[in-house]
Amino acid sequence: MHISEGVLSAPVLITGAVLAAAGISVGLKKMDYEKIPQVAVLSSAFFVASLIHVPIGPSSVHLILNGINGLLLGWMCFPSILVALALQAILFQFGGITVLGINTMNMALPGVICYYLFSRLVNREKKLISLTAAFACGLLSVFFSGILVALSLLFTEQSFMSVAKLIVVTHLPIMIIEGIITLFCVAFLHRVKPELLGGIYGKAT
Amino acid sequence: MEKRHNSTMYLLILFFASILIMSTSLPVSAHKVIIFAWVEGDIVFTESKFSGGREATGARVLVFDTEGKQLLEGKTDNKGEFSFKIPKLTDLRIVLDAGMGHKAEWRIPESEIKEAGGVSDKQRAGESAQPINVGLSKEEIKELIEESLDRKLRPIVRMMTESQSKGPSVTEIVGGVGYIFGLMGLAIYFRNRGKKRHEVNREN
Repeated sequence: MHISEGVLSAPVLITGAVLAAAGISVGLKKMDYEKIPQVAVLSSAFFVASLIHVPIGPSSVHLILNGINGLLLGWMCFPSILVALALQAILFQFGGITVLGINTMNMALPGVICYYLFSRLVNREKKLISLTAAFACGLLSVFFSGILVALSLLFTEQSFMSVAKLIVVTHLPIMIIEGIITLFCVAFLHRVKPELLGGIYGKAT
Repeated sequence: MEKRHNSTMYLLILFFASILIMSTSLPVSAHKVIIFAWVEGDIVFTESKFSGGREATGARVLVFDTEGKQLLEGKTDNKGEFSFKIPKLTDLRIVLDAGMGHKAEWRIPESEIKEAGGVSDKQRAGESAQPINVGLSKEEIKELIEESLDRKLRPIVRMMTESQSKGPSVTEIVGGVGYIFGLMGLAIYFRNRGKKRHEVNREN
């Protein structure tokens, strides 16, 4: 879902960059000493996830992992995703430098939204609620990203609905896979390190 | 402190395990479109691919001249290919629009079209048509050579397209991860320094 360079007009690019900068500054403020390694690990996970290509459907789609990024990092997923996207742009020529702002925005904002929607539920003792929330988090973060990408293409493509539909349909397999990945991550962390899920949640409120 | 250490360790293990699984079982592939075009005679052939080798099918191909005027438009077939007759002797800018914000372009300079013989043959027709001793005109020999060269070079052109559309290499992937951890080190260093300075100030 990287938007290539030269697709969007300047106002859209600037709006995206400004919003992303705001998110990043919030994220950096929240990022204290102990959180830095965790941000780095999730950032590298995001960085390599885009290489895992899922050969289902008509288009080229790959894993995104913005759900688990958002769930574990909250606002800190902005800097995390920015670094990963910048390196993807430089090393793999995915996306590009001028579209870095809007791409960061499109990927990180759904992460933050999912963090506020689901981190409370994921922390529940009841396994069923927690795991369902984790699945929904992975699924919806990709869905929201698709909507945001369609929104940013609003001024260049003909119709919002058709683009949004296309993106959502081609990313259906990814949504389900991301849901499952997020579910397993949460299940794993519940077993070995529950305070990792709870700790951040506690800090935010 | 010990606990913090543990949580990071768990994440690290999880992360490297996932890299290992991914690099062994799944084809490394990616998210970028490429269009590649070459001239044969008076026809331009284009190939469009997502990096990683998957063809971009049914994508729009737009052809512009130097002034940005659109000359023609077409769709790639199910092999990601699209060809068209050269509409005008000029620098061509071929833009691929694969939808969802994926875009790529390829330029063909005027000189390449001339070299391929497309439009210029007719223009130079009057130049020198005297027969050399084989009984073929210079024109005919030129045409024959060009034809066979086109045929011989096609696989090489294909190879170039393929090498262009290869996904990122392991070096780049590992390098990128290295960068992230380097940045982490930097961030920790600066946070730590700020903390220490703060403590020193307090002591004073």
